Amino acid sequence: MSGTKTRHGEAVELPFQVYARQFEKLPPCQARCPSSGDIRGWLGIIAQREKHGLSLDEAYDKAWQRIVEFNPMPATTGRICPHPCEDLCSRQDKDGAVSINAMERFLGDWGISRGLTLPDVPHQRHPETVGVVGSGPASLSFAYQMAIRGYAVTIYDRDERPGGMLRHAIPDYRLPREVLDAEIDRILGLGMALVSSVDIGEDLTLDQLREKHELVFLGLGAQAARRLGIPGEEGPGVIPGIEFLRKRKERQDTGCGRNVLVIGGGNTAIDAARSARRDGCSVTLIYRRSESEMPATAHEVEDARREGVEFRFLAAPTRIIRDGDRIRQVEVQAMRLGDPDSDGRRRPEAIAGQLDCLAADSIIVAISQEPGWHNSGAVLEAGAWLRPADDGRLQDKLFAGGDDLGPGIASRAIGQGRHAAESAHAELRGLPQPPLHPNSPLLTQDSVKVDYYADRQRSQTPRRRESSWLANPDREIDLTLSYAQASEEAARCMSCGLCFDCQQCFMYCNRGGFTRVEETSPGKYFAFAMDACEGCGKCIELCPCGYLEDRDVLT
Amino acid sequence: MAGLGKEYRAGEVIFRQGDTGNCMFVIQDGEVEAVAELEGREFRLRTMGPNEFFGEMALFEKEVRTATIRTTKPTRILSIDKKNFLGGIHEDPSLAFRIVQTMSHRIRDLTDRLARYEQQR
Amino acid sequence: MAEGLELLTGKAPKPNKAEAMTLGDGSRVAVIGAGPAGSMFSYFFLSMAETIGLDVGVDVFEPRRFCHRGPAGCNHCGGIVSESLVQRLATEGIKLPDCVVQRGIESYILHTDVGDVEIATPLMEKRIAAIYRGNGPRSSEPLDTHSFDGYLLELAEQKGARVIPRLVTGVRRDEGLMTVSCADQFSDAYDLVVVATGVNSRLTEMLENETAEFSRADRTKTFICEFFLGREVIRETFGPSMHVFLLDIPRLEFAALIPKGDYVTLALLGDDIDEALIDRFFAAPEVRNCFPGGQVPGHVCHCYPRINIRSATPAYGDRLVLIGDSGTTRLFKDGIGAAYRTSKAAAKTAVFHGVSAEDFSNYYAPLCRKISNDNRVGKFVFSVATLVQKARFARRGILNMTANEQLQEDSPRRMSGVLWDLFSGSASYTDVFLRTLHPAYVGLLLWNLVSANLPGGRKAQKGNGHVRH
Repeated sequence: MSGTKTRHGEAVELPFQVYARQFEKLPPCQARCPSSGDIRGWLGIIAQREKHGLSLDEAYDKAWQRIVEFNPMPATTGRICPHPCEDLCSRQDKDGAVSINAMERFLGDWGISRGLTLPDVPHQRHPETVGVVGSGPASLSFAYQMAIRGYAVTIYDRDERPGGMLRHAIPDYRLPREVLDAEIDRILGLGMALVSSVDIGEDLTLDQLREKHELVFLGLGAQAARRLGIPGEEGPGVIPGIEFLRKRKERQDTGCGRNVLVIGGGNTAIDAARSARRDGCSVTLIYRRSESEMPATAHEVEDARREGVEFRFLAAPTRIIRDGDRIRQVEVQAMRLGDPDSDGRRRPEAIAGQLDCLAADSIIVAISQEPGWHNSGAVLEAGAWLRPADDGRLQDKLFAGGDDLGPGIASRAIGQGRHAAESAHAELRGLPQPPLHPNSPLLTQDSVKVDYYADRQRSQTPRRRESSWLANPDREIDLTLSYAQASEEAARCMSCGLCFDCQQCFMYCNRGGFTRVEETSPGKYFAFAMDACEGCGKCIELCPCGYLEDRDVLT
Repeated sequence: MAGLGKEYRAGEVIFRQGDTGNCMFVIQDGEVEAVAELEGREFRLRTMGPNEFFGEMALFEKEVRTATIRTTKPTRILSIDKKNFLGGIHEDPSLAFRIVQTMSHRIRDLTDRLARYEQQR
Repeated sequence: MAEGLELLTGKAPKPNKAEAMTLGDGSRVAVIGAGPAGSMFSYFFLSMAETIGLDVGVDVFEPRRFCHRGPAGCNHCGGIVSESLVQRLATEGIKLPDCVVQRGIESYILHTDVGDVEIATPLMEKRIAAIYRGNGPRSSEPLDTHSFDGYLLELAEQKGARVIPRLVTGVRRDEGLMTVSCADQFSDAYDLVVVATGVNSRLTEMLENETAEFSRADRTKTFICEFFLGREVIRETFGPSMHVFLLDIPRLEFAALIPKGDYVTLALLGDDIDEALIDRFFAAPEVRNCFPGGQVPGHVCHCYPRINIRSATPAYGDRLVLIGDSGTTRLFKDGIGAAYRTSKAAAKTAVFHGVSAEDFSNYYAPLCRKISNDNRVGKFVFSVATLVQKARFARRGILNMTANEQLQEDSPRRMSGVLWDLFSGSASYTDVFLRTLHPAYVGLLLWNLVSANLPGGRKAQKGNGHVRH
């Protein structure tokens, strides 16, 4: 027998010497978060507070301060984000992912109720001024990051009130106005100017804007709705989803009837369907693929069902049948899933001859958005998405982010706004460009020893009684975690890839190669004398979070 | 090849009634029967399985073995020598506790059997 | 480590035996560490308490799991359960299951530069158990093994011990009781704290600094590694024998190769072991020839565990006792046997007498003293062995004497017995030493020293190390 053995599935030369080193890894939650927030960090501030003499209140304050370094609107995203961070949480298969989204919401609400303030704006302002077009999450994030770096910011918004899609397209029962107002006002309160009801392209051209400000950010969003393109679409009763939601929020007449069909499968379609139910309509949602392919958040779909929204899958409208101006029926075509197309999703194909007619008096079309700007200069081309570089740069001193790159979630927009600001600031000040991607390697799944951690039940987000949902149409359904619940939930974080002071390495190293550092902080507890390592590998195998690793395995 | 003790085939005799002996045995695996011989006839006294011991009387007395022990199937048996046992008891008398307990059970069992036998006569 | 730890009341009602330092119904005992000492203490303590109807709770603090392969689940040792311990455990009714015994050892093969000799007992019985303390070496294949430490812990749990998977970081006196605190801020109060952490954990160091009531054991470094050869190859090359070496390598005290299942464990004892010493050992032809192809293969797992070479003093205090390697253990050999003896003595003291320093001094310390005194003799004996390692004529004489004894059916096997008990730790060093003073032994040894060194007088052949079985 020769000396080959396998390690991690690959043949390795013997003898095994497994020398340890401390190396921070990127946890799966942060790898998935489009705004790249330091999730492990702010959970750790709460979970490890007793080691640093913080009260729970102080810990929540500090955790909030950490979140807003990346995301100035946690109470908002904590309500609307589909939380991709939780999908790969290491705790998933054990006793459920950490409720990161609910924790973000808790901290956001905590910040509002405690009146916590965003970082101070420096006294000395930089000479350059910044113009921001749009006031949705991308623009607000960009404006915020520039303001705290010391720039005078002016926001130009087409609407009367800021917020973009957050204000117009998200129903009250998901995002109460007071919450959104509080978070937006807090950002604006840093001293930036807001110019409302100004349409860039119409009232002011992009070139004019670029003469006024040294740096410009475009957060135009995707304001135009895609059309179905079927016969009978012209005329009253066919309402774009975003417009329906917006008019409802502004308490205007939406033009919607009593018997509504909603076309689409994303969160806008669900929001529209549930809003229509709150108006007392009977609602059927029609989607051309199957339920499992719906882009909408699963629990939103579930709640929609409970509220009485009917669903019809694998169906697409082909014709709107009117009687004069009024819609009478919609003809739908049965679909089946065929081969996958370029984005990997199976393409729906019509099943010839299978047609059906559904009675309806209104149709809400929520099948995605398109660029809604007019031609303006060389940059803005009507109907074409903006294509900046990875850091958001379109041209010298011109940046973009958010839905104007293509539809996405608010968290992504916030991340793009921040990256663009970091890049813009570096450009203006002649600093080196900041790295776009986190510089820690990604944690491998098997380096977290899930068995080490005690079982802890996942917190149940409190909810209102189901019978009250439609009866109080504008009230939130999901509530915030309690003060005690948040502390328990934070303790569930396994601190993947970063030390959390389990002390096993310190205790069990045969040589005593670990020493406690003088000033500990979350993630930083022990120093390791690498040249003293005897190569037995015990600490690596014991380290539950995977912070300690084999020095010779390239990560 | 793992496993402690010595291996015996089925039907092998560990010791005979009347032999001298100076060790006790603990069964690791398998089964033995204790058989008394009287006037040419064999009487089966009991069978014993894993973790049970026999031959303990030789540790306390210098007399001969009181029964024949024979395996009923392939068996592995560990021997406990007198010197080790008595040395252990000297240092820690409670070592004998389990043996005394078992002997006590056996006396109870034999008393019971004897009483019933006397009754039948 | 004690800074910043707060006393949090545990869930059980606070024990109220602060004045009388004896255990009564409702008392609580904390055992720190679930190695053999900790588990055996718990097992015997609960058994004894049961016999007198004493209702005491035992909490065993052990955050590691012995189901892990490699060093994470292992307490680092050669893995030999001596003959005397095997017998004692069997007498106590503790039978080591087959999945725990990786190999039954029935003989020793002594390798020197002047020849090899096999030392077997006439019993033809496997009475030494080669075990894994953890769940086997680090490997990518699943192993059909079971940890020895894990098995003993299961026995303790069956007797009613409760395992708490937390890492203890501090022990201190608090209002007459002992408070145990853990890395995750958990803490609880106990009537008695039994320290069974061994000398490779930092706890005794921290306790020594915290309480200033005792000085901890002195330690030296050893080397353990595992070679993968496969069951068949091991059966052919090593058989059911432990291979020991007396080589002229400076600073090397003792070396043994212990076959277990698919692996062979090497244990090296010496003075400040380092890579140079290890490499020299691997280069020795006597060692190389033990392996197939005359080559020492790469090892798959290794560590440098520390061992206790001088007892903690004192190994007890009020409501505190140190057992196993943390307290007093036999020098170099039969550490597990010493753990059995000290854990049982401590258990007896706690159940039948009390838990004050005086009680431990009266009923536990005598055993510790006995072992320490015996260790002094042992130190002397090992230093003689070192001399033998250096003197070729001595090696020849000893080898010859042993070989002669092994050839004769009814020889009293004096040298074989001395070597056997020395290698296996089956008898006390005092016992071994006294036997070397026996006139017959001395006479035969002298005769062999002369005759073996005369040309043509050697019985032992220079073997090539491959012993077939």
